[in-house]
Amino acid sequence: MGYTIAMACDFFYPQPGGVESHIYQLSSKLIDRGHKVIIITHAYKGRAGVRYLTNGLKVYHVPFLVIFRESTFPTVFSFFPIFRNIILRERIEIVHGHASLSSICHEAILHARTMGLRTVFTDHSLFGFADAASILTNKLLKFTLSDVDHVICVSHTCKENTVLRASLDPLMVSVIPNAVVADNFRPLSDSHPPPEGPLPPSSPQPHRLSPNSTITIVVISRLFYNKGTDLLIAAIPRILAVHPHVRFIIAGSGPKSIDLEQMIERNVLQDRVELLGPIRHEEVRDVMVRGQIYLHPSLTEAFGTVIVEAASCGLYVVCTRVGGIPEVLPEHMTVFAKPEEDDLVVATGTAIAALRANKVRTERFHEQVRMMYSWTDVAERTERVYDGISGVLSEEEFYGYRGGVGGGVVGGAAAIAGNSNSNSKSNSSEAWNATKGRAGVQSFALIDRLKRYYGCGIWAGKLFCLCVVVDYLLFIFLELWFPRANIDVARDWPKKKMAAAGAEQAELGRKRSARYREKRRE
Amino acid sequence: MFGQSQTSLHTHRPTPTTASFTVSTRSSKSKAFLTYVSLILRLICGLFVILVVWTKCQTFGMGIRAWLPTLGRFAQLEVPSRLPWRYLLPGACAVIWTVSRRGYTEESLLVLRGLGMQVSSSSAAYLSAPVTRFIPTTSIQDIFIHEAFKGFEVRFYLAIVVEGEEDTVVVFPNLLPKRQILEEVWRGAKACLYEPKS
Repeated sequence: MGYTIAMACDFFYPQPGGVESHIYQLSSKLIDRGHKVIIITHAYKGRAGVRYLTNGLKVYHVPFLVIFRESTFPTVFSFFPIFRNIILRERIEIVHGHASLSSICHEAILHARTMGLRTVFTDHSLFGFADAASILTNKLLKFTLSDVDHVICVSHTCKENTVLRASLDPLMVSVIPNAVVADNFRPLSDSHPPPEGPLPPSSPQPHRLSPNSTITIVVISRLFYNKGTDLLIAAIPRILAVHPHVRFIIAGSGPKSIDLEQMIERNVLQDRVELLGPIRHEEVRDVMVRGQIYLHPSLTEAFGTVIVEAASCGLYVVCTRVGGIPEVLPEHMTVFAKPEEDDLVVATGTAIAALRANKVRTERFHEQVRMMYSWTDVAERTERVYDGISGVLSEEEFYGYRGGVGGGVVGGAAAIAGNSNSNSKSNSSEAWNATKGRAGVQSFALIDRLKRYYGCGIWAGKLFCLCVVVDYLLFIFLELWFPRANIDVARDWPKKKMAAAGAEQAELGRKRSARYREKRRE
Repeated sequence: MFGQSQTSLHTHRPTPTTASFTVSTRSSKSKAFLTYVSLILRLICGLFVILVVWTKCQTFGMGIRAWLPTLGRFAQLEVPSRLPWRYLLPGACAVIWTVSRRGYTEESLLVLRGLGMQVSSSSAAYLSAPVTRFIPTTSIQDIFIHEAFKGFEVRFYLAIVVEGEEDTVVVFPNLLPKRQILEEVWRGAKACLYEPKS
């Protein structure tokens, strides 16, 4: 038996999106690795109550929140009773929140710390620092992340952003990228499994281009300002004017779609630019394989899963050098542009020329992407974070040598350090722990938590402390009013292999972790 | 919230093809004496209040005195006649209401092989019939245990899927006993309802 994890996020299926699929894929891979995962989200239309997804993934669509969401009552504490009930009946050890705009996630992390659970937060997006909305979001983020055990970001840029926004210790932030299900994004040529090993250079290429053959550029994105639709609108006429044998396919919807249509009509490009409108995620591959180049003009992006999907489909990627995008794909799959019109046109020209010269081996992209990104790998690295925060890995092992998790440059020197050394080290860091909120094995004591929150700001710190105190009082009240003993413990989903080994279910907490570690070490 | 821990299950199997599962918040047999005492007390209280109201009626000369002279003398007592109606009537209603409360809830599931299932919930007061529903075997599609949000909690419930109905029938809808009890009932009901495969 591994950990019991609750993923808390406002965004989940049936609503489509990147965060949603991230949570789903990560959860199902964690279940495959022998953990128990539940998801707590709010009720969607026609989807309330408790549901099971494939593989015994249990989803709580909490209906209660929506009532208060529609009236503007602050939901900070109203979620606690039901959250506590779910946590206790599922015997959750780790609460993992996702997405910084999700209020369930923030509340869940706050309540979980009050209840004495380990918490992890995953950030999926980048934010600015200047506008009012960002300042408010950042303050809220700072509140939640003052007392979180560990933070996961999807790219190094995202990590930098989060560390600055929430004033975190960079050591407690790991980078674990998104992944793609490579099998869902096969290039057009191979509907059957690809041949083993690298292709010999002389083998016929699936799409060898002659100088006059048509090149199709695909753009799939929501048509919003931050996705760079304006840039796209400005660049398309210029690209089409320079390159006669080029067509565009644009899929997606959003407020900027009218501008796009206007541009097409003004320049009379109806026969060269095809607008598909909104498409479902399952159809993305079928649209992508119709083209040779994927253009991604986004202005801000934390990770950009879509360009990995495009590369997996065997498309040459032209993208802006913003956010976490440069980290995502290796040099030979991409042409980077500055996020400006001229440079985007030049970069697209470069990409078209490279394709025409047959310099780019796009047919190898799929196999390379498959090697780079897999959800199993993401789940393994997330599991290591769980090990670190629950004390299975020693602090040195978790923070000193971060090769597996953070991709940091610190070598294994700290891990090799002797026992005596590590003792003194942990003593010195303990004093630091209390106020700074450094992870590792963080103290649950209320006074330590208050110290962490108090440092958030002159007024905000006091306000946050007040919130935490109220939350704690509410917790005590709930313990009296709804005693733990009366809460029915739910049955775990029967596991195929683990059924025999996981007989001793009543055991909880550190004991199990210790045993688990021994098993792992063998 | 507090009652949940006190629910107890009584299984009664008169024949191999019949089983009755009763979930109740009533205290166990050892306190039977207390229950009888309280019943008698309730009865006395109730009768007394009825008597007071009745004598009050008497003071208005409603002409019943004639055929019940013994009680008529009680009517001459000062207390009932002095109490104004506006206190007496609500007070009497409240006492009667309190006295008739059952104080516990009892819900049961009766399974008859070849016939069907009957779910029933006791009413809140004495002297009123329990709510029952019979579902014939032919229209029972499935019995299952699932979870749902109720108030501030997530509770387990046992439900019967009835053919041609949109909603399921929840067994023990007011008590919603613990999972352990539900599982026992579920196993018992399944075993009793369907012929064992031999």
